[in-house]
Amino acid sequence: MTLQVLPRGKWLGARVKRVEDPRLLTGEAKYLADITLPGTVHVAFVRSPHGHARIRRIDTAAAKEMPGVLAVFTADDVAPLPPLASGLPVEGLKPTPQPVLAREKVRFVGEAVAAVVAESRYLAEDAAEQVTVDYEPLPAVVDAERAMQPDAPILHEELGSNIVYQKTTTLGDIEGAFAQADHVFRRRLHTNRFVAAPMETRGCISVYERASGHLTFYASTQMPHMLRLFLALFLGIPEHKVRVISPEVGGGFGQKMTIYPEEVVVAYLGKVLGRPVKWVEDRRENLAAATHAKEQIIELEAAVRSDGRILGLKARLIGDGGAYSFNTASALIEPLAGAALIPGVYDIQHYQHEVIAVCTNKSPVGAYRAVGWTAAQTARELFFDEIARDLGLDPAELRRRNVVSPEQFPYTTCTGMVYDSGTYRESLERALELVGYEELRRRQAELRQQGRYLGVGISLYVEPTAWGSEIALQAGFPFPSHDNATVTIDPSGKVRVAVSVHSHGQGHETTLAQVAAEILGVSIEDVVVEHGDTDRAPWGMGTYASRSAVIGGGMVALAAQEVRQKVLRVASRLLEVAPEDLDIQDGTVFVKGAPDRSLSMFQVAFAAYLDNRVRAEGEEPLLSATKFYDPRATYSNGCIVTVCEVDVETGLVRLDRVVAVEDCGTMLNPMIVEGQVMGAIAQGIGGALYEQMAYDEGGQLMTDTFVNYLLPGAAEVPPLTIEHLESPSPVTIGGIKGIGEGGLLATPASVAGAVLDALAPFDARIERLPLTPERIVEAVGHS
Amino acid sequence: MKPPPFGYTRPRSLDEALATLSTHGPDARPLAGGQSLIPLLNLRLARPSLLVDLAFIPGLADVQAENGTVVLGAMVRQRAVERDALIAQRVPLLAEATRLVGHPPIRNRGTVGGSLAHADPSAEYPAIALALDAELVVRSASGERVVPARDFFVDLFTTALAPGELLTAVRIPVPPPGTGWAIQEIARRHGDFALAGAAVLLRKTGDGTCEHAAIALFGVATRPLRVTAAEHALTGQPLTAESIREAAALAVEAIDEPLSDVHGSAAYRQRMAEVVARRALEEANRRAGT
Amino acid sequence: MARVSIGLTVNGQAVSAEVEPRVTLADFLRDELGLTGTKLGCEHGVCGACTVLVDGAAVRSCLMLAVQAEGADVLTIEGLSHNGLHPVQEAFWEHHGLQCGFCTPGMVLTAYAFLQERPDPSDEEIREALAGNLCRCTGYQNIVAAVRAAAGKLAAAS
Repeated sequence: MTLQVLPRGKWLGARVKRVEDPRLLTGEAKYLADITLPGTVHVAFVRSPHGHARIRRIDTAAAKEMPGVLAVFTADDVAPLPPLASGLPVEGLKPTPQPVLAREKVRFVGEAVAAVVAESRYLAEDAAEQVTVDYEPLPAVVDAERAMQPDAPILHEELGSNIVYQKTTTLGDIEGAFAQADHVFRRRLHTNRFVAAPMETRGCISVYERASGHLTFYASTQMPHMLRLFLALFLGIPEHKVRVISPEVGGGFGQKMTIYPEEVVVAYLGKVLGRPVKWVEDRRENLAAATHAKEQIIELEAAVRSDGRILGLKARLIGDGGAYSFNTASALIEPLAGAALIPGVYDIQHYQHEVIAVCTNKSPVGAYRAVGWTAAQTARELFFDEIARDLGLDPAELRRRNVVSPEQFPYTTCTGMVYDSGTYRESLERALELVGYEELRRRQAELRQQGRYLGVGISLYVEPTAWGSEIALQAGFPFPSHDNATVTIDPSGKVRVAVSVHSHGQGHETTLAQVAAEILGVSIEDVVVEHGDTDRAPWGMGTYASRSAVIGGGMVALAAQEVRQKVLRVASRLLEVAPEDLDIQDGTVFVKGAPDRSLSMFQVAFAAYLDNRVRAEGEEPLLSATKFYDPRATYSNGCIVTVCEVDVETGLVRLDRVVAVEDCGTMLNPMIVEGQVMGAIAQGIGGALYEQMAYDEGGQLMTDTFVNYLLPGAAEVPPLTIEHLESPSPVTIGGIKGIGEGGLLATPASVAGAVLDALAPFDARIERLPLTPERIVEAVGHS
Repeated sequence: MKPPPFGYTRPRSLDEALATLSTHGPDARPLAGGQSLIPLLNLRLARPSLLVDLAFIPGLADVQAENGTVVLGAMVRQRAVERDALIAQRVPLLAEATRLVGHPPIRNRGTVGGSLAHADPSAEYPAIALALDAELVVRSASGERVVPARDFFVDLFTTALAPGELLTAVRIPVPPPGTGWAIQEIARRHGDFALAGAAVLLRKTGDGTCEHAAIALFGVATRPLRVTAAEHALTGQPLTAESIREAAALAVEAIDEPLSDVHGSAAYRQRMAEVVARRALEEANRRAGT
Repeated sequence: MARVSIGLTVNGQAVSAEVEPRVTLADFLRDELGLTGTKLGCEHGVCGACTVLVDGAAVRSCLMLAVQAEGADVLTIEGLSHNGLHPVQEAFWEHHGLQCGFCTPGMVLTAYAFLQERPDPSDEEIREALAGNLCRCTGYQNIVAAVRAAAGKLAAAS
């Protein structure tokens, strides 16, 4: 690898202000809903009010008569469209194809049953109310364990069961480990179903030109090229005639990496109706029908020595997958990814896990930042806290005695992950130091005497990042990886960087420009980063799973490096020196040691394009390179410590502060790294204390507005302290590791751990999250 | 999430508004600040045929003091209440309660009358009106009547207002100097509706004997409640930690029809009613002069 | 339903229109006037993305009908600055107070209105003032820092 170490100068590693911000700050940026093309018509979906019901009949006659209505489509009208199914077959996972509009049955509240197209969204909603669906309600099942029972209502009758996956894996000598144990501990945790809830909901616009057969599809998506491929296949339009444009995207967090039924339907409506068809999801639809996440029932059993050493672990992870497991094998991704990360940062070689995926009458599950890992980390860290309490050990000490130590790198886990480098123990010690751990413990004891309950929660984590094909394999979820960057210097010397990774808040237009600017020796102002348009960006899988800094940064570095060589070759001919004797800084190519012998990037580029005297025979004149990068597996790590006080009488929690020490290897831009960490911590606070998708026994969704589904606000998130450790990866370009997910992976355990630590005098045990005031009061009361 | 169709009228006088309401019957709804009604429209949970906008009627947004009473017009914005020096001085409980209503942008539009007439059982204003023994001035095409707060809140989102009637003002008797006051509430997040709340007024004599106690609960039942049993138990008794605890324990019994939702079960709210009542009584006792 | 005439001022420009009573101010600004900087995040008054100033006060434009804006003076994000960025916007930029940008116009306008009335706020007051504007990306800390910095900029300028 030629770029093991990236040059760090003016741009790379600096706190560069984001180039995308001015348009966002002034309201000039165009998100999906802000785009209106002439002749646009609008879609409203008719959605199931039942968790489980048979569709007897749908009457659309009255709706079709409503003012401004162009069409009403039901399953019969979209018959040519195949159901959504898992694109990547996983061995042992039973298929549960999802019709793009419900056919015969509905299986969750919010499932789309019909699509109404009208001249405005107002009129479309008026008409949607006039669609009459005759339902025969069926018994619903909303609890995964209940759904596993033989007499439970079955969602997909053809399968004969709601269990779509079940597999036990034994690693190491699990029986031996338990035979040697001084103690065996058990814990169960049912993590909450919570959701990404990006501030911008989903949406799409379908524009079909009949004469040419071209489809232009605007979508708020994280994966434009994947969406193009699937739309082409679903609609039977040749891929070269499909263009996907992802405009400004208002957050994704995984929710927008799925190909959704609504997108396929809207694309089809555009093709059939021949007018631009627009659908902007409203918040109620988003909460009911966009993918949910993170709900698992995890049972853990640990073989423990008296000194706190964990000898072996057994885990049973039941993923509550909701009604369908569609194109990301979504029902399975939670428990499967979770199982692989149960050992986490700890040196545990004997491990057995059973992974079960179950269908229930709830919205399908998809990715949300740290998919699978949040639940696993939360279950294990809370379990370890409990073990420490029961052994009379400090929870920090228990972690010290089990964490992988520095001399063990590269460390291969029993699940097959290869931890390349990191600061596992150091991050723990540094976080404890920053938070003033010893003093906090003294203060805690003092306050308890006054009837006040302070708590400290520690969550020590490792985060698989850089989703290339190797880490996908190691993390237990074989998923391909293919991404490209094209770096081009145009004749005037300005730089275009086109990338397949997608930015929806991450600031790639800044960080990837930093990489290119540093390598090419130009100012960031002379670089523009393009993404999100399949006609302008090279092919790739898009942004998810903390991959864009590593893959994006790596592929831009590779492409920029090649273009730099081309520039130097051309300049060497113009200046009549060897390329090795040249350097580039601030947009000037100069002879090392003789800076007055120089050319501007403009002069070099202009000559490269238009002066055939500098072109060697057979040489491509274009100052452009396209590079692919599929990184080796790399792992970030860190430690998040939360301090809180609990009012044990009301169950209200006041967070005092959260301290995060993280290590993502080489940082492209520390400001952006901190932003990622802080945002993810806030989401973790939501997951620990506020957010829950609640269904009643009949399958009714109780939380379909922001009045009932509670996101944390500025008053709920305490001051955050972020500190960086930097252990560059030995295996990736520049030593970069990803940073997108650690905060949400680790914070719920840290916050819930702090609350339970505060409640330690009551020996409060909690099996369900989030920790609502009521659950806390109950736990205190049951002591 | 778009509102269903409805008509709209913008009367320029109270009489015009009342005549319109009387003509159209219950399908016409008065529109004050809209901070409760418009979400219901957007969610299509309310379907009026006509909205009668009260914002352009002169004289409905005044705050006045008249012999021992503060009178607030129904269209006084909550932000105006929050900033009003007269209210801060004479009815500090109201000023404090207002800061617990939603968030500033909500209070910039939300009105006193709108909140009272909406009668959300978890809202602060109805309970405050109840604790303060406020009187609600109600007008219709056929005249005016005055309804004591304790008769005004009937049930979940239901008041004593008859079709065609409009709440035009609320009269608040200014508590005598030295009156202790407090409002305590438990909410999931800053600005959220209360899972349990209590508003309290207390007066005591020089030796610490309770002369007057008013305890109103919100967020726990289908309407705001006065805890008269606790008020009676305290009156004439010395205000001690013990007597306050005993009085607060009576709060639970006042709750006839408990509220329950995803944020808190009936059992939790009932238990918390006692906690907020006790904490509010303690705080009001600290503030009460003699 | 019969359309209603309205006249108002938006970003300093007089506007008159005939609108259906049910059209929200947010949709009016976005669809009729093309001012799409005002965002819709929930349409039921919780998220604050649609915050605009009406007669100088921050309000939810999804909880206001266009017909209610008769005679009002409305300021949207597009009207906050005419040349370059307003100091509040500059501070958000410098302190990385935004990521995806969707909550940003509402956040900036809420902060702007707040600083008008509270020029030297504490962090706690800032958090309380912004508590009704949801952001899913930043964790708020940099937004709080930005508002604090904006207060300083505005004080220095006045």
